[in-house]
Amino acid sequence: MVQINFALKEVNCKIVYYGPGMSGKTTNLEVVHQKAPEENKGELTSISTDGDRTLFFDFMPLDLGNVAGMRTKFQLYTVPGQVYYNSTRKLVLQGVDGVIFIADSDPEKLQENIESYENLIENLREYGKDIREVPHVIQYNKRDLPNALPVETLDKALNKFGVPTFEAVAATGEGVFPTLKVLAGMVLESIDRGSPADKRQEASKRPAAAPARAAAAPARPAPAPAAAAPARGAPQKRPAPAPTGRVAPPPPSTGGRAPARPAAAVAATRRAAPAQAVAASKAARSAEEAAPRRGGSGLVVALVVTLLAAIAGAVYFVMHQPL
Amino acid sequence: MAKMSANEKLRHDRLTFYKEDIERIEKILTEFLRLSGAKCALLIDKEGHLVTKSGEVRTIDMDTISALVAGSFAATKEMARLLGEEEFTALFHQGQRDNIQLSLVGDRTLLTILFDDRTTVGMVRLYANETAKKLADVYGEVNARPQPDKPLGGAYGDSAKKRLENLFS
Repeated sequence: MVQINFALKEVNCKIVYYGPGMSGKTTNLEVVHQKAPEENKGELTSISTDGDRTLFFDFMPLDLGNVAGMRTKFQLYTVPGQVYYNSTRKLVLQGVDGVIFIADSDPEKLQENIESYENLIENLREYGKDIREVPHVIQYNKRDLPNALPVETLDKALNKFGVPTFEAVAATGEGVFPTLKVLAGMVLESIDRGSPADKRQEASKRPAAAPARAAAAPARPAPAPAAAAPARGAPQKRPAPAPTGRVAPPPPSTGGRAPARPAAAVAATRRAAPAQAVAASKAARSAEEAAPRRGGSGLVVALVVTLLAAIAGAVYFVMHQPL
Repeated sequence: MAKMSANEKLRHDRLTFYKEDIERIEKILTEFLRLSGAKCALLIDKEGHLVTKSGEVRTIDMDTISALVAGSFAATKEMARLLGEEEFTALFHQGQRDNIQLSLVGDRTLLTILFDDRTTVGMVRLYANETAKKLADVYGEVNARPQPDKPLGGAYGDSAKKRLENLFS
């Protein structure tokens, strides 16, 4: 969870290096620690076994400095990779703001990579987070292995959500900073752009509206009688109902023969309403346009009044003519 | 898990403290230090972020202490779960000179108290319990407040990008 503290003028974000055992998570962090400018980094703390395997986590604060008046800090953590440390791994993931998944390019580790990624998804889910909403990148480490798996193979196996990927040889430092830089940018962007939930809601509205527009478009050039035919025939694929309701009220029932209103019929209704309005206004302006049509009773009254006025005018004119 | 509203999601993903919140918290902490005789009090999020500190803060690496305290508490919570407890609400680490007492405030913050032989663990615990309740009330108000969608303003994103470029160049 990003912490924004206006009193201390600080923004704190938590980034976690995740991945299978021995994939290079701690090595990544060590490289960041070695190469980051002195004024930007804190101590690298490790809770590890005697054999230098991460027991709980490694931790290092990285200070980005003053950003728009707020001192922005990343707390970098690694997790223990071994399967049997899942409980501690999950604890480290609590409140995470961004994840760097370190995958091993060794062909023999492919299955471990897949399982670890699945484990990440599951552990995030237990904290109520959907991985698609958590900024994350994947680093394919150990690219210097002679039998390293092709990136395409790793992509196909791991990168289900199309996130940025990086090739790296963490032992030499190659690819470590580009990975962190992109992820850090994604985390900061997530703070700046507002709620991901808002974005999701906006996105979920778009597909609902799009098919309706797409369905209406091809129907537009079709003449009204042709469009009306399928309304009585076999139902077609139903468009999204919301726009239909807004545009025009449903027509009277056709005796249960048209349970669904196809797209073409909807489009025809949309055009019919303005056509009637235009015709009515023309009729009001001209008495000759008084052909009976639906909704034209007001028109008849207007015609009668006009005729009466004409007759009265004519009588007045005749009576006042000099003999 | 039920789908969260946009504001619930923000509360879940972000916690914003304003100056007034911290001033209230610091006032409570100062009063606690006066009554208990402890040296220093830190308020730390369960995620390991320091919220604020009060008292004799020596040159301690606050970031690392915060991360370790949060990790330590998380580990004991897991132990509690295995023992059938929801969580241990207080922890005590005894040293030769300095001691640390941890108390849970609300459901996601840790009151971390450093004290030495100028007081006793009993005094610290007594006042820590009262203080934790007062702080929980403040936290309740902070949590209940709608979270601003863009609390840092428009300039933050651009400025952050430049900083990132400089750091990793």
